[in-house]
Amino acid sequence: MKLIKKIVSGNEAIAIGAYKGNAKFASGYPGTPSSEILDYFKEYDGVQAQWASNEKAGYEAALGASFAGVRSFATMKHVGLNVAADPLMTSAYTGINAGCVIVCADDPGMHSSQNEQDNRYYAKFAKIPLIEPSDSFEAIGFMQYAFIVSERFDLPVLFRSTTRISHSLGIVQYDPRTLDNEKELKLDKNFRKYVMIPSNAIIKHKDLLEKLDKLKQFSNETPINIIEPGKSNVGIITNGISYNYAKEIMPDAHFFKVGFSYPMPIEKIKNFAKELNRVIVIEELEPYMEEELKVAGLKVEGKKYFPQDGEFNLDIVEEGLHKAGFIKKDKSSVVFEDIELPKRPPALCPGCPHRPIFDILHSHRNVYITGDIGCYTLGSLPPLSAMHTTICMGASLSVGIGASKVEKNEKVVSVIGDSTFFHTGIQSLVDAYVNKADMTMIILDNRVTAMTGGQPDPSSGTNLFNETFTPVNIAKLAKAIGIERVFEVDQYDYEATKKILDREIETPGLSVIVALRPCVLMPKKIKDTPLVVTDKCIGCKRCLRIACPSIDFKNNAAIIDESTCTGCEVCLKVCPVEGAIVIKEGKQI
Amino acid sequence: MNIESVLFVGVGGDGIITASNVVAEAFMLAGLDVKKSEIHGMSQRGGSVSASVRFGEKVYSPTDKLGTVKFMLATEKIEALRWIKYLNRDSVVVVNDRIVPIINQTIDESSIDESMKTVDTKVFIQRNFLDDAKKLGNIKIANTVMLGVLSKLIPVEEKFFIKAIENIVPEKIRGINLKAFEYGKGIE
Repeated sequence: MKLIKKIVSGNEAIAIGAYKGNAKFASGYPGTPSSEILDYFKEYDGVQAQWASNEKAGYEAALGASFAGVRSFATMKHVGLNVAADPLMTSAYTGINAGCVIVCADDPGMHSSQNEQDNRYYAKFAKIPLIEPSDSFEAIGFMQYAFIVSERFDLPVLFRSTTRISHSLGIVQYDPRTLDNEKELKLDKNFRKYVMIPSNAIIKHKDLLEKLDKLKQFSNETPINIIEPGKSNVGIITNGISYNYAKEIMPDAHFFKVGFSYPMPIEKIKNFAKELNRVIVIEELEPYMEEELKVAGLKVEGKKYFPQDGEFNLDIVEEGLHKAGFIKKDKSSVVFEDIELPKRPPALCPGCPHRPIFDILHSHRNVYITGDIGCYTLGSLPPLSAMHTTICMGASLSVGIGASKVEKNEKVVSVIGDSTFFHTGIQSLVDAYVNKADMTMIILDNRVTAMTGGQPDPSSGTNLFNETFTPVNIAKLAKAIGIERVFEVDQYDYEATKKILDREIETPGLSVIVALRPCVLMPKKIKDTPLVVTDKCIGCKRCLRIACPSIDFKNNAAIIDESTCTGCEVCLKVCPVEGAIVIKEGKQI
Repeated sequence: MNIESVLFVGVGGDGIITASNVVAEAFMLAGLDVKKSEIHGMSQRGGSVSASVRFGEKVYSPTDKLGTVKFMLATEKIEALRWIKYLNRDSVVVVNDRIVPIINQTIDESSIDESMKTVDTKVFIQRNFLDDAKKLGNIKIANTVMLGVLSKLIPVEEKFFIKAIENIVPEKIRGINLKAFEYGKGIE
């Protein structure tokens, strides 16, 4: 069999590894940096893959496939595992049937996240094996291995990536054939194993503790916990991406590279450390390994020299090794100093249908706007500045309910996208109705999970496999719950949208406004006739307040970049001067 | 050979990811080890974008160390300056002579140009590559013209770049990209 050699991202490598590991079913919810895994996986012959409404539903579907005898996995970002924590904790008790892996991508540095929690603690919390690759090449092998470990110990396995592994590329070489399962499996009906009523769960918890003892021994034996002998008399214990930085800065040190990190390989590390003068632990985020080792009585150091927040890089690891006295810092070559420059924050795209909503909300003084997770979180930034909270998926509606119950002066308006609404918003819509909340809920239904790259959702009418269905209609859903004041708007009709928003904000009681204009990028970029600014422009800068990347200001007048303008006409609608912004004649794109 | 690096910087939508994929592929074809890092997510919405392609006999880190980047391809001047700390006097910089406006901010273009003058690296090529691309009939191939310029300075045989373009660039626009690459090689 000819080996395939190519450059792949960590996420593609995880999909390759899953396929080679004979996984046949996958489910997940998109979230940076994990989103691309299912897109790669679904391309393989004979597999099934699907987006779930949220991570809990995604992981439960993977569990179901495992119980039915098929190797399966779920994908999610770090905060997604909070949502899936409920099935996670109890599935450690039931165990699995066919191999089952939770692929979870943490985001140190918060490239695109609301926190940088370290999910390694979830493995310890649930008492399940934890596997961490360092790059794409390892991801392929480790992913296959995860299924074997899962079946050997009858436990789900947590497979942890980070942004810098998922979104970095490296050369891989692999045999494209898949592994066979170790044994033939079919649907497993077993009351004592899968029905977690207390009488069964009490026994299964004891089982789990016994498995944990075996796992502790296994961690000392597994080949993915590797000692790389060096020349100096100091040792470095490290994992994941940190290994690469440390190895490049200090190639001569003795390395203990941890690939199987829960339970930690305590005995093997004790042997490693025995002959060495000093040993330090280099790990991003929390002192997870350091604590485990210290509890086991090892004299190691770690967070004394390295930050507990943010993402590592070569410079941070070099600085830490220098502070620890392991190396002399290379005082070399930094010859150029930082220059003070304007930051370039991300912005809503030209033509984005969220823009008019935030422009209208910005004009209201006495509103408290609870927001959510998606592109539209950018509505919180100046000059739109129309969002006062963002906590987690779905929180806009429920935070809004609580605020509306106690706040007497400001009207509560909550803003949520369609995918986020289906994720964990629906429940709060029911709550708002049942508890008679006095608030306006705006659901930005652009028919796609846009922020993470345009994955389909229940509002899209297509699924991950491109099968079509009648899209879930949010207005009808709200009415079916019993909510009376439900309205649909098209944001490109600025005046009509403003009229309804203004009216509902003034009207006491619960109302739901579904904003229906689709994402400007999906399924393909919508572009109409561009607009131009005429010499009637008085330089009032009103159009700059809508934060459109196509509009700039030069020589006391607005200027529109025709190459990026989509012709949505929102700037024209907000412009106070008749004829200052016009549709470009004779230019059809 | 030591690990060297090509740092691509620009603005979301500039084609940084494709350009860096071509270079990474070229290094692999030349038999070298390669790692590449890129940032997705919020940067898709017009923010700063960067990608780093590191190559050598054995590469560990996918990202760069300050003051060690040998080659920079910048599609915009402010973004070039934002990453200046990664360069050193021996660096090779190819930068597109253009400024992309930033929402809600007025940019002092002359001060940006003043700062550009302080980038006194061994090789510094600043040029309006969009004009070159327009001349060739497609503004989207400016990056490939820049790659052509850079290819003469990177220690990898030209045939690997050409093969990489053939492997990475979709068939529909492959021809014009190969033409742009050739054109770039001709720029002094």
